[in-house]
Amino acid sequence: MPILQSGHGDFYVQDPDAVRTQRAGKERGLTNKLMTEQQAVSRFVADGDYLGCDLTYFIRGPNALIHEIIRQRRTNLWFCAKYCYAESILLLGGGCVSRIDAGFVAVGERVLTEAMRDGQVTLTEWTNDSLTLRLLGGAMGVPFLPTRTLLGTDTLEYSGAKVIEDPFTGKPICLVPALNPDVALIHAHQADIHGNARVLGASTAPLEQAMASKKVIVQTEEIIEIEEIRRHPSKTTIPYYFVDAVVHVPFGAYPGTCPGVYVADTPCITEAIRALDSREDMQCYLETYVYGAESFADMLEQRVGVKRLLQLKARERYREGYYDTP
Amino acid sequence: MTHHEFTAVEMMTCTAARLFEDNKAYLIGFGMPQIAAVLAQQLYTPHIIWVYEYGTIAPQFPLPFEPLILGDSKSNYRAVSWKDMNHVFAQASQGFIDYGMLGALQIDPYGNINSSYVGGTYEQPDRRFAGAGGANGIASLCWRTIFVMMQEKRRFVPKLDFVTSPGYLDGSPEARETAGLPAQTGPYRVVTPLALFDFDAHTHRMRLIATTPTVKIEEVLAEMAFEPLLAATVEEMAPPTPDELTWLRERIDPDHIVIGKGKTIQI
Repeated sequence: MPILQSGHGDFYVQDPDAVRTQRAGKERGLTNKLMTEQQAVSRFVADGDYLGCDLTYFIRGPNALIHEIIRQRRTNLWFCAKYCYAESILLLGGGCVSRIDAGFVAVGERVLTEAMRDGQVTLTEWTNDSLTLRLLGGAMGVPFLPTRTLLGTDTLEYSGAKVIEDPFTGKPICLVPALNPDVALIHAHQADIHGNARVLGASTAPLEQAMASKKVIVQTEEIIEIEEIRRHPSKTTIPYYFVDAVVHVPFGAYPGTCPGVYVADTPCITEAIRALDSREDMQCYLETYVYGAESFADMLEQRVGVKRLLQLKARERYREGYYDTP
Repeated sequence: MTHHEFTAVEMMTCTAARLFEDNKAYLIGFGMPQIAAVLAQQLYTPHIIWVYEYGTIAPQFPLPFEPLILGDSKSNYRAVSWKDMNHVFAQASQGFIDYGMLGALQIDPYGNINSSYVGGTYEQPDRRFAGAGGANGIASLCWRTIFVMMQEKRRFVPKLDFVTSPGYLDGSPEARETAGLPAQTGPYRVVTPLALFDFDAHTHRMRLIATTPTVKIEEVLAEMAFEPLLAATVEEMAPPTPDELTWLRERIDPDHIVIGKGKTIQI
């Protein structure tokens, strides 16, 4: 089959048989996977890993885990920035990231520009939807999926996509390589200790992200019993055996919102957006919210306080659809 | 405050709102397009199907609208379904989404969009931007794409440093189909604080069709680094109505976060 066009961006690729072999060795039992964020990151996030998140720092982001990766000073990560507002830049500021798959890197563009110019980070160009489709390919165990996007653009040239002639219709079609990240970080509303997780509301791709990734860390607002999971199976977003670690972090998406539970802390988000505009200010932000605390809960206690957290919870007036309302 | 005084961005928002068609499905980008969609939904086209790229289908959210957060419970409220990104782009790929409405940093005469970088090279850019986000998929797959954007010479350029999202590509007939994009799709309108453009059916070049009240054609052209085609008659847009301004200022964007921008126009 002739290849009509090849993007020349570097892309992370796994042999589907290697992925299958890794899956074959994965725990199937209903074990207790509850652990602290320190334990989860030290066991399941290694230097050089390819890392993906579901959603983003301002909306149900896995912020406790992001902070912990920065605190443990992981290096040389390759970050999947699909629908990403701040976490890629925070990881960059923490010296954790050397490659970014740029779907959307919306905050800290000046810091990103400087880091690119200094050679601290290299980008491959993608889009939110093509990265999400790549995850679906990884989740399906196939090597690539077709899409009718990217075609005709420089985005395709600077991605790892290819264009071929569709063997069925004869039209040009874009193929994107499946993506199997080393690690997925997902913020759930509820999970049991085995990893059965409920992600409530609209989302980017929590299931595909979990299914595609070799190691999955779920941080959750609330731990629930497996009996509750079994009473409402249609609410389970991620079945437990995809998950390696469950971390219980109430307010773990702070300063972002966890829809249905608490609203975003808008002043803190404004502070973050401002701080991420320069390397120096970002270091202050990291000092205040990451390095200066031993854990996420510690940060919430020292820097935010119970009163503020309860306010954010009280201000979430739209619980309908997330939780059963009386 | 009378209805004879309004900002250029208020005019742009009203122009964009008046373009909506009822009972059509829209994939709507962040910022100005959202404000226009809310105005349209309240005043003109209550049954538009509003789809967000992260999976929300046809929400009915309460006002005032808060443009900072996309994806919070308020913007998802009373949707008919909560899905995910692959689902939404599958809808667009199937041909279910009639319109995409997007903001844009930089545009060329054929409606191609750059949101990746300007100046220097890809590896060593003078200024790096966010990248495509959902815009490439939206501009590829929706039947018609409408851009709502600020107008300055550096934003309307003859050639982009980087084509992030596809318009009519090089403008040649069938350029999109030849590249493999879905047939009969492409840019439809460009709305700015100064003017309204469409695209010529044959050359696919941007064409000036209307101006904001008091703004002369020369003033529009002065804020473009290429010459657009001119419609046989370049209309003057109807100014914002008292109803539109009341909704915008008092209910939709009471803090004037979005609509306060642009020069003030008095007529």
